[in-house]
Amino acid sequence: MSVKRGVKSLFAGLERFFFAEEVPYGLALVRMCLPTVALIPMFRRFFRVRELYSADGCPQQLAELFGNGRLLPELPAEFAAALYGVMLFALICGVFGFRTRLSFLIGGLLYIYFNMLDAIGTMTKYSVIAAHVLLILSVSDCGAVWSVDAVLKRRAGSGGLSALPVRVPVWPARLIQILFAAIYFGAAITKVQTPEFFSGEQMRYWLVSNWNWPNPIGELMALSPALLMISGYITVVWEVTFPVLAWRPLGRFVALGMGVAFHVMTIFALGLWIFPFICTTCYLAFLQESDIAAIRGILRRLRIRGGWLGRPRVIAAMLLERRPVMVPLAGIWLAAGLAVAVGSVEADYRLDVYGIRGNGALLALPAMDTATVRQMINSQEPLREKDKFFSFDIGSMVMAGQLANSRSQFAAGEVIIAQCNLNPPHEDLWVECVIQDAEDRVIDVAGQFVTRDQLFAKFNYMTAEKLVPGQYWVVLKSSGQEVSRRPFELTGDVSAEGGAEGMLSN
Amino acid sequence: MEGWCGMKLRRWGAGLLICGYLLLLSWGIIGHALKIPAAGNTLGYFVVWDMFCGWQAFDNRTHFIAEDSAGNYYRVQEPWGAFQPFGHVDRVNYDVSNQLAPRHIRNVLSHTDHPPIDRVYVVQEIWPKQFNVPDRLWSSYFHEPKDQQSYFNLRAICAADGTLIESNPDWYVAQGLKSIADNPRLRTQAQGASPFYNTFFNPRLAAEANSSFSAADNGLTN
Repeated sequence: MSVKRGVKSLFAGLERFFFAEEVPYGLALVRMCLPTVALIPMFRRFFRVRELYSADGCPQQLAELFGNGRLLPELPAEFAAALYGVMLFALICGVFGFRTRLSFLIGGLLYIYFNMLDAIGTMTKYSVIAAHVLLILSVSDCGAVWSVDAVLKRRAGSGGLSALPVRVPVWPARLIQILFAAIYFGAAITKVQTPEFFSGEQMRYWLVSNWNWPNPIGELMALSPALLMISGYITVVWEVTFPVLAWRPLGRFVALGMGVAFHVMTIFALGLWIFPFICTTCYLAFLQESDIAAIRGILRRLRIRGGWLGRPRVIAAMLLERRPVMVPLAGIWLAAGLAVAVGSVEADYRLDVYGIRGNGALLALPAMDTATVRQMINSQEPLREKDKFFSFDIGSMVMAGQLANSRSQFAAGEVIIAQCNLNPPHEDLWVECVIQDAEDRVIDVAGQFVTRDQLFAKFNYMTAEKLVPGQYWVVLKSSGQEVSRRPFELTGDVSAEGGAEGMLSN
Repeated sequence: MEGWCGMKLRRWGAGLLICGYLLLLSWGIIGHALKIPAAGNTLGYFVVWDMFCGWQAFDNRTHFIAEDSAGNYYRVQEPWGAFQPFGHVDRVNYDVSNQLAPRHIRNVLSHTDHPPIDRVYVVQEIWPKQFNVPDRLWSSYFHEPKDQQSYFNLRAICAADGTLIESNPDWYVAQGLKSIADNPRLRTQAQGASPFYNTFFNPRLAAEANSSFSAADNGLTN
């Protein structure tokens, strides 16, 4: 009996979770913001449609990368340009909420099509996230408020502009929320399966990659292993707990707040610009009706008026109302879409991507210096010893097995930890750490095998055993060659301590 | 009554959609966690969240060099300006699996003016990533002079239409193989155990022969 009651209450809970009714303000905000962000990279590619997405260019389909052949048709450039224009038009219509579902259905499908056509220069994980959300929006009532459709509907009805907004089931917003829980949980699984993420190596190499936009803070962070390890653990903890916290009254603010901070950090640390905004705009799906009421209250108290924001959709609706009665709204949409398609074909022609018409002939290939080319083609240069190492540093604190600080001054009796970080792939190496004094006299030599799977190696020195205060060098050698050296100063009175230490250690 | 039915249908439709979507997301997560190949395909890309899984210690760029019959060399690069999709790096460099190369070659050569091309070399340029650190940071963190050296690896040779003539291992793979082959014991064992295909004995033929009256040669084909 109690099991039956439990199952019944579970279903009732699920029904409340997915089918509770609210005014879809959050979804409407996602509708306005997400496509706007997703359109930024797509607008940039409008000038290259012929090259990236048509049979007259060099698209590389996503399916080909997975060995599934060319699943999608590669259209002649004119058709590709026309469809691309329709995609942009449809997504803009979606932003304003004009024929919202139709717009997102057509825009979303074309968005997926063009992304899948160019897996190298267009398709990324943010495109995937945007594709999911665009398709969810196409089956939602996101156009029920703050849209041209809503204004038209209200003006057509008896209530006029003062009519109460409609309340609809919240399941589309829930699907977006669940999508993000899945994304973060999946990303956490990826990280858990990558030990190098927790030791900071993976993040470090990413931070010094120049594959995205400039990331000055990331480059600085890359040289601070402790920071990388701490931020790595925080990220994974946040990603794993996101699904647990996201639907709690207060946990929601923690999970989303950390999410915003994390994504904003990726702008400065990784040089990502679109990805963070795709994610944070989707967070708007977490806004509830009560949140919007609270935000409105705050704005009212601050005397900030937002009425002008709705002006464009009201003007658009008024213009659409002036159409002949016999012309349906979908007809207006189709006619405008057709005009955009024709305009896109014309734009593609005028843009002259390959510069053939502008130049009057085909552009010439740039010539290359023969000596340089031969050196590039025939190069068999072995890797220099120093290129097998990323860095070498000395310090005194270890975190998660790695050197976490950098020092150049040590008190007598302290332990000096020297660590080298290696660049994989490398062969098995014999690595030595040599202590030299200011006159380059060798005081101590220690060596160890560093196998090909190792990404770092550490050497510990008890300063009190042999050294007296003064200036020294720690020299890193690999295969007998000097790779790097770090100076350090030993301070303090070592005579008494050294004797004691020596006696103790023996 | 019709409204009630319509509402019920909508509710059921929404329920099915929710269930389908949740199953899809679960498939992606479980498939990725357990590394099931079913999730490693085109559809899987839409539900697997493996962001930031592979970053290497060496940076690389790909150079395409065309050679004409007179021995002159040309850079096979878009003279109309290469598209840089995510930063300041040309699109072709984001092609880690080198699958775009034939189409890139074909596209550039078919839209440019050049003498007849004999072959196109695809060359990887590699350098350690620490050299990407700006000079001001280099001087404060690294104590050595910043003497960056690039390594080149001939990845492939293609015909003018992009057809592959010769393919060599990726620099990273080659480096990994070299590090293993560096072991003399392994090298000796590998040399003594070259894989081969036996053309003298064919189990299928042997089985057929055993089942018939002619089993004289016992599967030996030669």
